[in-house]
Amino acid sequence: MKETWRRFKKNRFAFVGFLFIALILVVAILAKWIVPFDPYYMDTNSTLTAPNSEHWFGTDQFGRDIFSRILYGTQISLKVGLIAVGFSLFFGTIIGIVAGYFGGKIDQILSRITDVLFSFPDILLALVIMAILGPSLTNLMIAIGIVYTPIFARIARGAVLNIRDSLYIEAARSMGVNSFQIMLRHILPNSLAPLIVQVTLSFAFAILAEAALSFLGLGVSPDTPSWGIMLSEAKDWMEISWWTAIFPGIAITLAVLSFNIMGDGLRDALDPRLKNER
Amino acid sequence: MFAYILRRLLIAIPVLFGISVLAFFMVRLVPGDTVTAMLGTNYNEAQAEILRQKYGLDQSLLVQYGIWIMSVLKGDLGISSLTNEPVIEILINRLPITLELTVISILFALLIAIPLGTIAALKRNTPVDYGASFFGMFGISVPNFWLGTLMILYFSLHLSWLPSSGFVPLSDGIWMNLKTMIMPGIALGTSVGAVTMRMTRSSMLEVLGEEYMKMAKAKGVTNSRLIWKHGLRNALVPVVTVLGIQAGYLLGGSIIIEQIFSLPGIGQLALQAITNRDYSLLQGAMLFIASAFVLINLAVDIIYALINPKIRYS
Amino acid sequence: MKRLVGLFGVVLLLLLAACSGNQGSTSENEEKPNPNDQLESTGEPIEGGKLTIVDLNDAQGLDPHSETNAQSMHYIENMYNTLFKYKEGTYGEIEGDLVEEYEISEDGKVYTFTLHEGVKFHNGDDLTSKDVKYSIERIVEQLVRAPQFEDVESIETPDDKTVIVNLKKPVAPFLTFLAYPMNAIVNQTVVEENGGKLDNADAGSGPFQLVHWKKDQEMVLDKFTDYFKEGLPYLDQVTWKAVPDETSRTTAIRNKEIDIILQLSPKDIQLLSKSEDLTVEPVTGTYWEYIGLNVTAGPLKEKAVRQAIATAIDREAMNKSVKFGQATILTGGPIPEGHWADAKLDTYSKSDIEKAKSLLKEAGYEDGFNITLKVGQNKAQVDAAQVVKQQLQPIGIDVEILQQEDSIFFDALGKKDFEMSIVGWVGFVDPDEFLYNIFHTEEVWNQQGYSNPEVDRLLEEGRETADQDERFEIYKKAQSIIVDEAPMVFLYANQHASAIQKGVHGFDVNPTVSTKSLENTWIDR
Repeated sequence: MKETWRRFKKNRFAFVGFLFIALILVVAILAKWIVPFDPYYMDTNSTLTAPNSEHWFGTDQFGRDIFSRILYGTQISLKVGLIAVGFSLFFGTIIGIVAGYFGGKIDQILSRITDVLFSFPDILLALVIMAILGPSLTNLMIAIGIVYTPIFARIARGAVLNIRDSLYIEAARSMGVNSFQIMLRHILPNSLAPLIVQVTLSFAFAILAEAALSFLGLGVSPDTPSWGIMLSEAKDWMEISWWTAIFPGIAITLAVLSFNIMGDGLRDALDPRLKNER
Repeated sequence: MFAYILRRLLIAIPVLFGISVLAFFMVRLVPGDTVTAMLGTNYNEAQAEILRQKYGLDQSLLVQYGIWIMSVLKGDLGISSLTNEPVIEILINRLPITLELTVISILFALLIAIPLGTIAALKRNTPVDYGASFFGMFGISVPNFWLGTLMILYFSLHLSWLPSSGFVPLSDGIWMNLKTMIMPGIALGTSVGAVTMRMTRSSMLEVLGEEYMKMAKAKGVTNSRLIWKHGLRNALVPVVTVLGIQAGYLLGGSIIIEQIFSLPGIGQLALQAITNRDYSLLQGAMLFIASAFVLINLAVDIIYALINPKIRYS
Repeated sequence: MKRLVGLFGVVLLLLLAACSGNQGSTSENEEKPNPNDQLESTGEPIEGGKLTIVDLNDAQGLDPHSETNAQSMHYIENMYNTLFKYKEGTYGEIEGDLVEEYEISEDGKVYTFTLHEGVKFHNGDDLTSKDVKYSIERIVEQLVRAPQFEDVESIETPDDKTVIVNLKKPVAPFLTFLAYPMNAIVNQTVVEENGGKLDNADAGSGPFQLVHWKKDQEMVLDKFTDYFKEGLPYLDQVTWKAVPDETSRTTAIRNKEIDIILQLSPKDIQLLSKSEDLTVEPVTGTYWEYIGLNVTAGPLKEKAVRQAIATAIDREAMNKSVKFGQATILTGGPIPEGHWADAKLDTYSKSDIEKAKSLLKEAGYEDGFNITLKVGQNKAQVDAAQVVKQQLQPIGIDVEILQQEDSIFFDALGKKDFEMSIVGWVGFVDPDEFLYNIFHTEEVWNQQGYSNPEVDRLLEEGRETADQDERFEIYKKAQSIIVDEAPMVFLYANQHASAIQKGVHGFDVNPTVSTKSLENTWIDR
């Protein structure tokens, strides 16, 4: 563990990503106290004002402060990331471990289902699931969670296959430890490394997916300070006010970038043998 | 060899079957009634009943799926409730646009990925390499829809070089057509370029470490010839596979990019099918997109097997 | 059954409303010089030329009798003729199109129409009184606009040029109905050749004939050389394009790739007005927007609650942030200034939070309540929803905005599956069209579930009364009751504006959004 942390810290790129994520987390927690303006407050007297000393990132068509909205947006992004990734981690890991451990027919079926889910572009799948569930933040998180479940299933399965036939599992089995115990005590901890990496990378995907769905107007409620919604609204106004389109985009890119480079760094640190590819 | 291809084909069949099941039942889960949507303003109970019978909607779901899949196998994907045209015709009409968009993005991606990846590998751990790494990370992190928006902002609104959206068919002139496709192509291709660049770099690094490269060098083959002829050719083999997987990303990305740039392709169609609750169109589009993904990857695997003699066909 | 049909009707009509959104409205209509005078004074019409015109969305289909949205209407109306048409440059007046002369009996129940000589369909057939009879019957069969003809008792065709329509009772807006561009006269033979459907076919006699329609790309119309109006149309070809993206439309017209943009958004009105190569013409629109309050359940059942909402809303501020201040706020009824039936009520002249609070208290909701506000994909309406949410917060009403896909949204409205909604309505021409369908009890488009016997009586009376002054009083009374009971909170009437390339003459920007004036349009460049 210590060794991992040392290796991780050595990777300056990844460490910066980690620090930035920490910053996002702090902003999300403290948003209520640190925003200069109420992100929902509409000041009809200062609509679409360019960035200035009062409104650092300018205001939108309702006169809402873009900087405050972007700070609040961290809450939405992190919430979506946390719950969606939590969802796919939980279900994906169970499916993957079950498939890998039992093998045979169960594995065949579960793997084919995963293949099928993989064949649909994630945005399309998420859009259809949203259509089934109806638009809301909760449903959005579930939809993204379902879409990314197969990745976790595949990774968990792979990890299980690697160690399923190893000696100590054999030993545990011969000592009469039941399957559930073996999975929980022995297999799961040994699959952790690749899963942690995937969690970090999936955070990046989830933030992107939320932004994309909100951008299409099929995500969260339209007054939510979500970066994707801000961008989608900006599209109509950027002709006369570029700042509406610039800052939310930077926020998304930075957040996603942080999770991506941290995930990358974690992969190198946790398992130097793993390839630098996606 | 043929055994391998046959085996890959056999694996694809259950997946294609699964896709059809998923597309069919997911669309059935979407709230709303197909017949109601189909009749729209002309709704009346008697006509609805006739239509339900005609489309077998009065039968059980399983039977309905059976009917649907049989007609799909005959190339009939049903009638769109939005336009009253056969779904298959709509898909075929729109396919060229998405195809062109995809080709342009892949070309753009390769155009940056291969030189940049190769140079990064050759100049490992230099600022060039770090720059390339950063581009790689940035490219997969930047949302394509924001990139598209920014390009519209700069190239269309600010410089007035390119139309901000809309589509001009190839038949109206290649230049006119390219003007409408170049920005969406770049917006969509950037992330593919980044991924491919990372792949090229690591694969090139691996090849550079191989024995035969060292041998060739020892034999006195000149450096640039060595890299371009021996190195790159071998390094590109895994890159092809990555491109296959990226096809899925491209198809998904086309939904949002086509929407931004108002390109009437398959992606925009899928979105329209969802927003208009056009069930047969949605079913058809989902089936089409997912099958395309499977078939592209099948093709890539087969090509991979053909160009890479090292693969084991077990 | 009819009711259900209507529900879908409203879904689509509102879709048209939603699609045709983003306009603004002005109160200075009458002060503006008539755009036609201005345009026609520039010289003799020149024949020939091709024109490209851009709309927000593509048409759904080309069947005049079953389509309901404004985009389809634009495509259709230039391929067909109607018995009457809206007079260019006016609001609310009509003139003959296919009809050369007409007579209305004393009791207002018998209409005798004489058709123009030598009208030909695009396929060369003669247009006769039989086609008129067939078309009206087909409109009724297709259900969408059947209510407009529900009082038709019989149609006689004594000869090829004469049509006699017998009504069960007087219908004051009957000629206005006949002028509606989608109540077109179709060629029976062509309808039958196409299996009864005209979704992709041209069965018209209008100034232009269909060349091709590539959905979501373009629709091309060629000049019909045998058009019955001598010398018309001037243009050789008209190309329609659907460009939903506002930015690309404005870029295209600046780059001279297109000649006319329909339905400019308030933002684009501002932007394009500055351009010297363009004429931007705004007229008072008939498209108004409102907050729908479902009166059948929950807190909104209480009149005082509805009044509280109507009182709390600051329409001026809303107009400013949603419509760039270019719409005309509606502090009274929906019929805008400039229309003869404007009741000039000023019930909710300005936002009054204190009064709204006391109204809520009166209804027993002094602690406020939570409520859902549904809205579709129309940007301006989504924006308005956000403002409404903010404006209702001070009186303790916590609004949750639910944005839905249009098809789901309009379906929900039709099923009264909503608490609050924001949407628009195209009033068109006659006050009957503004009010009857949406406020009469159990009427098919009465989504708010509003019912008041007195209003019903007035609306029925207005429909049967011929005298305009009497009708004014009737509709004034009806509007004042409706405004007071507030099943809808009227927000603003939009402006209808088009951007036109300099050198394009004779195109009439009409409040009814009709583009029939293309037959008189010519290009000089």
